[in-house]
Amino acid sequence: MEITVTQEQGQVPVTVFHIEGDIGAETFDQLEAQAQQVIQSGTRNLVLDLAGVPYVSSYGIRGISQIYKWLQNPASGEQPASTPSAPQESSYKSTHLKLASPSQQVMKALTNSGIDMFIEIHSDLKKAVASF
Amino acid sequence: MDFTLSVSAELKNLPAIRRFVDETATRFEVDREIIDGLIQAVDESATNIMTHGYRGSPGPVEIQVSLEGDRLVIRLRDQAPLFDPTQVPPPDLNAPMEARCQGGLGMHLVRCYTDQVTYRVTPEGGNELTLVKSVAARPV
Repeated sequence: MEITVTQEQGQVPVTVFHIEGDIGAETFDQLEAQAQQVIQSGTRNLVLDLAGVPYVSSYGIRGISQIYKWLQNPASGEQPASTPSAPQESSYKSTHLKLASPSQQVMKALTNSGIDMFIEIHSDLKKAVASF
Repeated sequence: MDFTLSVSAELKNLPAIRRFVDETATRFEVDREIIDGLIQAVDESATNIMTHGYRGSPGPVEIQVSLEGDRLVIRLRDQAPLFDPTQVPPPDLNAPMEARCQGGLGMHLVRCYTDQVTYRVTPEGGNELTLVKSVAARPV
């Protein structure tokens, strides 16, 4: 898996990870490490561009969940943020992490995991960046 | 007819396992959407064997894919300590993200993409997980 990092300027500065390759148990830690690095460097808004990702496993979803937690509370390092209540509606989606351009297979894994309840998934990168 | 892949229980072998399922199911002319689901189901099962079964120790993992009538049957065998993954409770997908326990998500996805998941201890004393998917609706 390879990650190219770019900076976009929407209404706020947005960091974009253009990911190429599978996000599986063998690679998810690489995604986490790179995300942790940019968050520690000050990134607050992140898009994961999944256009080049053929496959995401439950470990990949675990990695995305971890990034969600870091961005919810960047000062906490690896500690999860507190949560007011269970997300029964889409109003509790992250304002800091968005996903873009998943393939049909990846989208299915994301929805089957329920991650779409917490993270906006956009059909293309421009829409994802503009959504911040 | 069946095809078998034997690999060591190392995460670096997961891409080869996914390719094997893809190529074998394609050879059996299984519908693309079903193949994609089976790749996920086998990858999740093999990952569980490597991370929870062998816990990073070396050991063999065997994956056998066969077409039995209108069912694609995939058997994963290993020599890790005996463990029945079908008993893993499903994750609470309605829990807040921060409170979510990640355990069980892999098996949840396995169930999403298969019709039947069974476990048995082999006569040799190893684990065998069998995934079954109907491929009756595949296009001709």
